[in-house]
Amino acid sequence: MDIFITQLSNGLAIGSIYALVALGYTMVYGILRLINFAHGDLFTIGAYFGLTILVSFALQGNVSPLIIPWILIIMAAIGVAIIGFLLERVAYRPLRNANRLAAVVSAFGASIFFANALKLIYSPNRQSYPADIINLPNIPIFGVDIQSKRLIMFGTAVLLMALLYWYINHTRTGTAIRAVAIDQGAAKLMGINVNKIISLVFIIGPALGGAAGVLMGLFYGQIHPEMGFSFGLKAFVAAIIGGIGNIPGAMLGGLLLGVVEAIAGGYVSGSWKDAIAFGALIVILIFRPTGILGERVADKI
Amino acid sequence: MEALKQTRHIGFWTGIVFFALMAVLAIALESSSGGNTWLRTLNNIGIFTALALSLNIILGQTGLFNMGHIAFFALGAYVTAVLNSVLGWPIIYTLPFAACITALFAFVVALPVIHLRGDYLLVVTIGISEILRIAFVNDIFGLTQGPNGITGIQRIELFGYRFMSQFAQFYLIWGFVAITACLFYFLEHSRFGRALNYIKYDEVAASGNGVNIVRYKLIAFALGAFWAGMVGTIYAPFIRTISPGLFEFKESVLLFAIVILAGGGNIVGIVLASFLLVGMRDVLTMFGDWSMLLFGLMMVVIMIIRPQGIMKPRRRQYNAGHLVGKFPSGIGKKAGLSAGNQAEVVE
Amino acid sequence: MIKKTMLALATGVSLAFAFPAFAQDVRIGLMAGLTGPYASEGQDTKRIIELMIEDLNAKGGINGNKVQLVIEDDGSSPGTAATAATRLASTKVPAVIGTYGSAVTEASQDIFDEAGIVQIGTGSTSIRLTEKGYERFFRTAPRDDEQGRVAEESLNKLGFKTVAILHDSTAYAKGLADELKAQIDKNGRVNTVFFDALVPGESDYSVVLTKLKSANPDAIFFTGYYPEVGLLLRQKKEIGLDAPIIGGDASNHVDLIKIAGKDAAKGYRFISPPLPTDLDTPVTKEFLASYKAKYGTYPGSIWSVASGDAFIALVEAIKAKGADSEAIADYLHNDLKDVQGLSGKISFNEKGDRVGDLYRLYEVDGDGNFVLQPE
Repeated sequence: MDIFITQLSNGLAIGSIYALVALGYTMVYGILRLINFAHGDLFTIGAYFGLTILVSFALQGNVSPLIIPWILIIMAAIGVAIIGFLLERVAYRPLRNANRLAAVVSAFGASIFFANALKLIYSPNRQSYPADIINLPNIPIFGVDIQSKRLIMFGTAVLLMALLYWYINHTRTGTAIRAVAIDQGAAKLMGINVNKIISLVFIIGPALGGAAGVLMGLFYGQIHPEMGFSFGLKAFVAAIIGGIGNIPGAMLGGLLLGVVEAIAGGYVSGSWKDAIAFGALIVILIFRPTGILGERVADKI
Repeated sequence: MEALKQTRHIGFWTGIVFFALMAVLAIALESSSGGNTWLRTLNNIGIFTALALSLNIILGQTGLFNMGHIAFFALGAYVTAVLNSVLGWPIIYTLPFAACITALFAFVVALPVIHLRGDYLLVVTIGISEILRIAFVNDIFGLTQGPNGITGIQRIELFGYRFMSQFAQFYLIWGFVAITACLFYFLEHSRFGRALNYIKYDEVAASGNGVNIVRYKLIAFALGAFWAGMVGTIYAPFIRTISPGLFEFKESVLLFAIVILAGGGNIVGIVLASFLLVGMRDVLTMFGDWSMLLFGLMMVVIMIIRPQGIMKPRRRQYNAGHLVGKFPSGIGKKAGLSAGNQAEVVE
Repeated sequence: MIKKTMLALATGVSLAFAFPAFAQDVRIGLMAGLTGPYASEGQDTKRIIELMIEDLNAKGGINGNKVQLVIEDDGSSPGTAATAATRLASTKVPAVIGTYGSAVTEASQDIFDEAGIVQIGTGSTSIRLTEKGYERFFRTAPRDDEQGRVAEESLNKLGFKTVAILHDSTAYAKGLADELKAQIDKNGRVNTVFFDALVPGESDYSVVLTKLKSANPDAIFFTGYYPEVGLLLRQKKEIGLDAPIIGGDASNHVDLIKIAGKDAAKGYRFISPPLPTDLDTPVTKEFLASYKAKYGTYPGSIWSVASGDAFIALVEAIKAKGADSEAIADYLHNDLKDVQGLSGKISFNEKGDRVGDLYRLYEVDGDGNFVLQPE
């Protein structure tokens, strides 16, 4: 039982990262019907930004270890948001009216570009965050020692998701975002600046991805230029499981994927765990063709 | 009909001239000192062209978002490798088995998921190809020899001639591409091909007109996989060591990009796009560390320059001229306005 | 007419693709992973070979002929390696050095064999590479069966009764894990209580570490590569798993310390051929001095140094028999005996494997140094 709870916490922790990345996927998809495959690489860029800031400003030792993570997360999120904004302008906006698969191919191109730009800038070798930035005691839950970093990751992800949910559903801009997601043409007629809203989404989504990247580096330690590809793919799967376009769905999908992986890795076999996760995805989609929280859309005739 | 025939001839003759030029190019490369490398690049392009043509049936013609096509290719290659390397069959006998097993696999896995829409199907196909790759890594049924893969695959032998050099394989691979292009060209213009196109442009209308959507989609899937399995048979003796590392998700992406860049369904476009993307990937390696960066950049730039693909998807064309005046109102009037022009299906 | 045009076209194209020929120079191919996950190995290999060629050419080359290097990047992946090998084969070099990673090497073997080119693998220890009967394949790396034997020996000597074996599903690591398991089963001195894989390149190994914790072994033997070892050490400490990790020769790389941190890396042990800094032959000392002078550090791992051994063997062969593939292969098989290389004496057996027992046990001390353990 102890082992089970520990594995559950392992799964929820990595699942929190998937969820944060999945939020970016799902927002962009909701508004543009675009699978932004470069999103995983924005996540990686966030992780590298965090490391660069940490090292170049010599934060460690000079600033309280409780504040460092927040500085890193906020600064990396801003940096990645700028890149996300530019990405949309350069690679996606010219393709807005084309076949939507054209934008998917462009997204793959951008993904390859980012990963290799990171390799050129930081070298293809893996980099590591210093091991002793944050040392926190374990916290006993149900009699099991849970690493507090797991709780911080989970908490941060839930907090950010809740903020985003509130923002989308209870503010004026949020309403505009929802309107654009439903019908761009009608939204335009209502006086909403669609381009501005889309740019905004490409700022929020990447910022969340960047924040997830910093969390990853801080708590797991190692980052490398190609990691965005597999993380991006998994986060995309998470978004689909939850029902793409749906914010709580992305969160749910991410956590679920993390837990499935942890249980599969812990109780079946480490070498089959990804296969089991994909298998779960397929089974879910067979029974819920639009994901767990996805709405069933009637065919428009 | 006249117009239809003419365009058909143009496509056909372009093909003949193209393959003839390729044959000459191969002779030229063979006789030059550094030519072998280029021949290999061309052979790589050929493999991908044939693969992209097989994906085209699924993605380009029917509009099914298959982003796991590499799995079918991998399965074909593995079937051939196992039959040849373990059981000692000559490569050429493994061809029908590779194709049929792959088609059967595609049919079985597609059956429960074929009703999924667009992007959901896309992620499921990614999942299927990853599961298959992981199964190969984990030495499933003790057949695939794990991450090392299967070595010692023989070369193809036909009528006592062994296709060893890049030069010999060039004719094998591109001959296969030519046959593929030709067959798929006729397929595209057949009743079957038209039904697939119908599904792509308007599933509801197609179904309303008596096209059995599920059946056609499944056949398209199985047919594309059948062909990809055969390409796998040709690839295995070409590369001689088959390992799961060769069939990563990135290769599926490249295939997907080729078909989209081609302009959805156009055979000439697919050949061009294969040259552009696969060729570029090979040629750009001369830039060392910068090569993949440039490759990614190029993908973005090409898509922006040609958002509709290299070749604009050519719609089926009908000459409506003879309809002028045949109808009292409505259609006749409209047709009259556009007499001589062709009606276009809008995507 | 058509024939003439075709001929003209053919000549034109062939001229366009023709390479200039250097008649006097001896050309040697190098295939290394300059990009991809093992890029630091590949880059280091390139530096070492370039340095050695520079030194050799300064001394007048081989029998007065300058040596030229033709480099191709294998991208640390089998697919790219096949392309790189074809490129090298088409340049008609008599011999090729490389490469790191058994699966990567394997993908190139057939191509070099068909082209009749001598290949000397450097960082590829998988057993079956030399079991296929290729007459022109050699390697300066030792074999995994030898490594498995030494690993089992060491586990026993260190007093571990139960061991968990973990690999990463790569060709090399799976092979070594199987080999170690076979040795353990054969001798019956140690018990295997766990055998599974992790997925390389991930960031979180807490799941597999938790599983290991519940298996409660005396020691964990991980057969994979250094980046994962670093992460495992780091996360093992966080998760409170006390069993020590022991690794194979792919963890012999200084980056390990950087990833794990000195604290977590302390006490980590691995099996490996001796580091160049632990060899005190004049050849090695001279090489290390000139490497340090040129690049400011010592080589990061033993495998790039093994490529230096390959180069030394090749130079000996070419010096004696000229730059002909068949003659080189013949010389390496039969005439090359105990030539002083960078990582010890070099000779090859009839399979092309390096002769001699090379494996030693290393331990990481508190300052992140790799310390050779007395036998």
